Amino acid sequence: MTHSIILLAAETAGKEGGLFDLDATLPLMAIQFLFLVLILNATFYKPLSKAIDERDEYIRKNQLDARERLSKAEQLAAQYEQELATARRQSQQIIADAQAEAEKVAAEKIAAAQREAQAQREQAAQEIEQQKQEALASLEQQVDSLSQQIMEKLLGKQLVGQR
Amino acid sequence: MLNILHVVNFAHLAELEVGKHLYWQIGNLKVHGQVFLTSWFVIALLVIVSFAATRNINRIPRGLQNFMEYALEFIRDLAKNQIGEKEYRPWVPFVGTLFLFIFVSNWSGALVPFRLIQLPEGELAAPTSDINTTVALALLTSLAYFYAGFSKKGLGYFGNYVQPVPFMLPFKIIEDFTKPLSLSFRLFGNILADELVVGVLVLLVPLFVPLPVMALGLFTSAIQALIFATLAAAYIGEAIEDHGHGEEHGEHS
Repeated sequence: MTHSIILLAAETAGKEGGLFDLDATLPLMAIQFLFLVLILNATFYKPLSKAIDERDEYIRKNQLDARERLSKAEQLAAQYEQELATARRQSQQIIADAQAEAEKVAAEKIAAAQREAQAQREQAAQEIEQQKQEALASLEQQVDSLSQQIMEKLLGKQLVGQR
Repeated sequence: MLNILHVVNFAHLAELEVGKHLYWQIGNLKVHGQVFLTSWFVIALLVIVSFAATRNINRIPRGLQNFMEYALEFIRDLAKNQIGEKEYRPWVPFVGTLFLFIFVSNWSGALVPFRLIQLPEGELAAPTSDINTTVALALLTSLAYFYAGFSKKGLGYFGNYVQPVPFMLPFKIIEDFTKPLSLSFRLFGNILADELVVGVLVLLVPLFVPLPVMALGLFTSAIQALIFATLAAAYIGEAIEDHGHGEEHGEHS
């Protein structure tokens, strides 16, 4: 059993054995290998490939789903944004309308008040005028009676009564 | 040098047995028992590990399943790169088993202390350090690519032999012989040489010095498995490649 490499290299020629000893090991090994392929195909490649493919499919589907949901959410956000803008516009419109209305009402009220004031002033002026006339009239009367009295006093009653 | 080897060897520090086989007689056929013993070990290891990895498959891989999925992805990528996206799937088991079997064989030869088990004759080593194994694998590869070519194109496969120019015919025919030859001898030579180098170094300097060479051996072993599987896939891919649309090569890359 104490062969050295070199000895063996020389020995192998002619004798049974050696490095390049091809025999029934070759076909048996090939068959054995094919069986190994079959076994591993059943226990390793098929199930794991299936697992990997299923996972890929799962991930792909989830990703698609998520993307869809994201786009839907973005769409909703955009819609809300739009609605918000509309609402804001509407509210501004309402405020503007209300202000205009209020201004109109105020203007009307002011105009009415001015008209009323005018009317009252005119009425007051008329009354004053009337009272002035009355006063003047009564004054004239008094002037008449006074002047009569003065004349009577000055000229005497008979004289005046003669006239 | 010769004398030193003899002296050391006779001192029974270690033994190297090259070309000695444990013969089993089956009918009137002789087989190398030690090769089968180690190959059964390798096969059992592969089957057990793959069985354990796929026994309980989860969507979120853990532990062994994760590891084997990594291996499978690696093999699939290899096959996809060489054979092409459309055709690679049926060939994954063959190419992958080539890779796994050779890889585990090589590493078991380097890592498992088979030599501690005494055999009546010969010694246990990596199955791939026996020429029968490598030739068997190489011939299977040849059959595989012929089968691939014929099943894809029928007799039109022979059109490959005159592509791109008819002038190539003799070279292509020679290639059919050199492919299995180079495949088998490359693997056989590398693994055997690695074991021999480690053996000789252990003979000469038993401690520590062989370690870097062993590490290098692990590296070479892995590379050889990769090369064998890649070349097998490349040959298959070459056989089923569509020459009708030569301009579409880009899509395969």
